[in-house]
Amino acid sequence: MRLGRTATILLLLTPGIGLIVFFIGAVIYIAIAQSFGYYNLLGESGYSLEFWETLTGRKAYARSVRYSLYVGFWSAILSVALAYPLALWLRKPFTGSLTVSAILKAPLLVHGIVAAFLFLNVISFHGILNQFMVWTGIFDEPRRLQNDDNAIGLLFLQVWKNMPFALLLLTGAVQAISDDVLHAAQDLGAGAWARFRKVIAPLSVSAMQAALIIIFIGALADFTFQTTIGPTNRQSLAQYMTFFKERGRWNDAAVVGVTLMALSLVGAIVLAAAARLIFRGRLR
Amino acid sequence: MIALHQLNRGLMIALILICALWLAIPFTYAVLWSLVDPAEPWTPDNLLPPVMSFYRWEFAWQNSLLQPALLNSYTLAPTAAVMTLILATPTAFALGRYDFPGKETAKLVALLPLVVPGFVTAIFFTSLLYQLGLAQYRFFAILLAHCILFLPFAIRILTVSFEQVRQDHIDAARDLGAHPFARFQVAYWPALKPGVMATLLIVFIQSIEEFAIAYIVGQPGFVTVPTLLYSSLGQDFNRPNAAVLSLILLVPNVILMLILERFLKSANPALASGKG
Amino acid sequence: MPAISIIDVVMRFDRFTAVDHVSLDVEEGEFVTLLGPSGCGKTTLLKLVSGFLQPTEGRIEIEGRNVTGVPPEARNTAMCFQSYALFPHLTVAENIAFGLRQKRLPAAERRDRLADVTGQVDLGDHLPKLPNQLSGGQQQRVALGRALAVRPYVILFDEPLSNLDAKLREQVRYEIRKITRDFGLTAIYVTHDQSEALAMSDRIFVMNGGRLEQSGAPEEIYRHPRTRFVADFIGSANVLDAEVVGEIGPNLWQVTTALGPLAVSSETGPAARRIPVAWRPETARDGAAAHNTVEAVVRHRSFQGHFTDLIVDAGTTTQRLQLPRSAAREGAQITFSIAPEDIAFLEPDA
Ligand SMILES: Nc1ncnc2c1ncn2[C@@H]1O[C@H](COP(=O)(O)OP(=O)(O)OP(=O)(O)O)[C@@H](O)[C@H]1O
Ligand SMILES: [Mg+2]
Repeated sequence: MRLGRTATILLLLTPGIGLIVFFIGAVIYIAIAQSFGYYNLLGESGYSLEFWETLTGRKAYARSVRYSLYVGFWSAILSVALAYPLALWLRKPFTGSLTVSAILKAPLLVHGIVAAFLFLNVISFHGILNQFMVWTGIFDEPRRLQNDDNAIGLLFLQVWKNMPFALLLLTGAVQAISDDVLHAAQDLGAGAWARFRKVIAPLSVSAMQAALIIIFIGALADFTFQTTIGPTNRQSLAQYMTFFKERGRWNDAAVVGVTLMALSLVGAIVLAAAARLIFRGRLR
Repeated sequence: MIALHQLNRGLMIALILICALWLAIPFTYAVLWSLVDPAEPWTPDNLLPPVMSFYRWEFAWQNSLLQPALLNSYTLAPTAAVMTLILATPTAFALGRYDFPGKETAKLVALLPLVVPGFVTAIFFTSLLYQLGLAQYRFFAILLAHCILFLPFAIRILTVSFEQVRQDHIDAARDLGAHPFARFQVAYWPALKPGVMATLLIVFIQSIEEFAIAYIVGQPGFVTVPTLLYSSLGQDFNRPNAAVLSLILLVPNVILMLILERFLKSANPALASGKG
Repeated sequence: MPAISIIDVVMRFDRFTAVDHVSLDVEEGEFVTLLGPSGCGKTTLLKLVSGFLQPTEGRIEIEGRNVTGVPPEARNTAMCFQSYALFPHLTVAENIAFGLRQKRLPAAERRDRLADVTGQVDLGDHLPKLPNQLSGGQQQRVALGRALAVRPYVILFDEPLSNLDAKLREQVRYEIRKITRDFGLTAIYVTHDQSEALAMSDRIFVMNGGRLEQSGAPEEIYRHPRTRFVADFIGSANVLDAEVVGEIGPNLWQVTTALGPLAVSSETGPAARRIPVAWRPETARDGAAAHNTVEAVVRHRSFQGHFTDLIVDAGTTTQRLQLPRSAAREGAQITFSIAPEDIAFLEPDA
């Protein structure tokens, strides 16, 4: 009877979770194996540290690691930082709050590539932003704003696309905090900042962590934004990996891919732990 | 109280204004660009395109890869939606109706596809296909990858639905002598229906939008709407054509999302009734 | 100068009036109770004083200062919430010390107060627990301790003992009174429980439907209820509609009621010809007397320990009386009497 039950459950889990474990496991396995020289499509296969050694020695590798971390980190932090005040503002319904929240969440419906294109139109050489700046006299003549070196445009777009997602998660968490709890804090002398720091943030820390992690991983592994509106003198890890893959250098691509996964994992853990430590004062 | 009211109103007007600029200007621009007639280019000294026509729309329809892309995207997405639903249901049933050790771990493992970066999955899935010698079956490869990528959403949503099926409804139905199908109809389906619809819509939308897998696995030759748009932004950047494609990619999304919203709203009271 | 002045305050939610032209003063160091049925606006009034709500009309002064527009965190008040409102992510100790940290008290002082308060509300063993690991009564005591620890100028209690057992309630009640007295705190205490109100307060304010019905010292409220509502709500008096016949002696009035003719003693006399009168069940005396002897049939009898509760049919109505020792069974005929001083004229109905 017990055995039968276990078998039933395992059988039920197979097409869903089983498939996921098998597929993602295979992907991760292939990536790691290829990064150590196995499963070569051309030439002989065998264990080798060569690919790791040559690639990690390269400047381009280090640069793209740093660059991707920069984009991932700031996208996550800025999106969440911007979403918090909005979530607090929309905590209690008021006339028009539904409209506001619909407008704020609209970017969720816009595909990343479409967003990149719309953004290009606005900031392009003949775009409305340049025309406006020239018209007000801030710029003497139109400037080249797209593909700026500091990836400001890219970060802007990441935030534009990801903030609504953070808002979605945070609104739910913030609405779950009862009025009386906030009143109690206020009554005991906590001002707006202390209320946020000591009550609201600690109580919504799970949602904050989820938002940080998912946005971080998405932006860290970004390819489309980087290749359309990102700086032309930088390469993101995904771009770097695709570069190798297109040249058939699977082992090099695998090294970058494994790096990307490791950074996702480590970055996610660090962000989650930091959020919890800062706002809860303890890890449990 | 009154001060807060005014503050809210002020903030709201500011926000709606910003968002109008935020959404309205870019979209107006896209629409205008899509209407530029090739007879005369739109130069920055003109506020509106000098000559407007639907030429670009017709052109995109007849001459680009738009037709195969639409065909691919719109066969891929519904197939992926139905398949994902079928694959997710048994797991969701187990997670929603049984208690077993390791259930929480299983729920976490189900989120794995969301955590591995899309491009990593795409590239090493391709590698796997080459190893197995299956690389030429692009459509099925992408379909499989989409199913797995979007399984987490489906499992999540359906698990919640199965949890909401009430044991006393099932028992009552049995007590009244209902056969399995009748039992399903009366006890399971009302609770599952919103979840099933939400799963179908979400997987559909996600699949239409998915870029990494379609781009990497589909190379060369297999186009979907997002990969087509991407290439029109890259190699042969032509602003009016890209504008047409952007709008084409956008419209079904908005419509589907509105349906989803409406549906989820109308589903709630149905679930709430009969409680207590 | 009163510690708290509530001056002609009205609180409306949309069209619903929760507090209706209430005016009251509380002296410094005074312990007053708001007593009234569920939904009569007690919590709303406390929230007005602590600053979570702004009155629609009227104003509130604390220490003679108009506090309209002063946010709650800037008011020297602390409230013990009816819903507890504990911070779920903080331990019992952190919850209690929250207000002290906001005041930036030195660590040593915080420790002392924490120790004091945990003793007073009897939570010594639970300091490192999180609120969801506590029983309902323990949570309530944390909420109470959190407000008491601050020792604010004005402390507001919203039914702080409703979830405690009778014995603990008695003990904590005593502690609350001791702390407020020792530190000279001005307190407003909300309760449903009339015996609690009578036992603890310097003054009682009886509320009904957002209005203040009567205020006064516990004895005064109990002995001389002014309205039908107060008489009924406190000590569940028997209220009868009476018609005044005339004065039959010095300060003695003859009335007719559903119970029969009654003599009522009153210094001021009735305010109208048709007027409600009230008498309390425990003032009934066994056997006949010079005035107001009543024959009755026992309908229900319930033994309560130190007295017996009887519901009886008398005249054309049903009354309630409590006799110290009564052997009367249900259906038995009894004779009882009410002294004229124990019957009071109420305010005529509007
Ligand atoms: N925010 C609000 N919006 C609308 N009506 C409210 C609001 N707060 C309170 N009320 C109404 O005001 C009336 C008084 O509420 P209040 O909470 O003050 O009652 P209370 O005397 O504390 O009752 P209880 O003894 O049950 O706690 C109630 O009828 C309640 O429904
Ligand atoms: Mg209340």
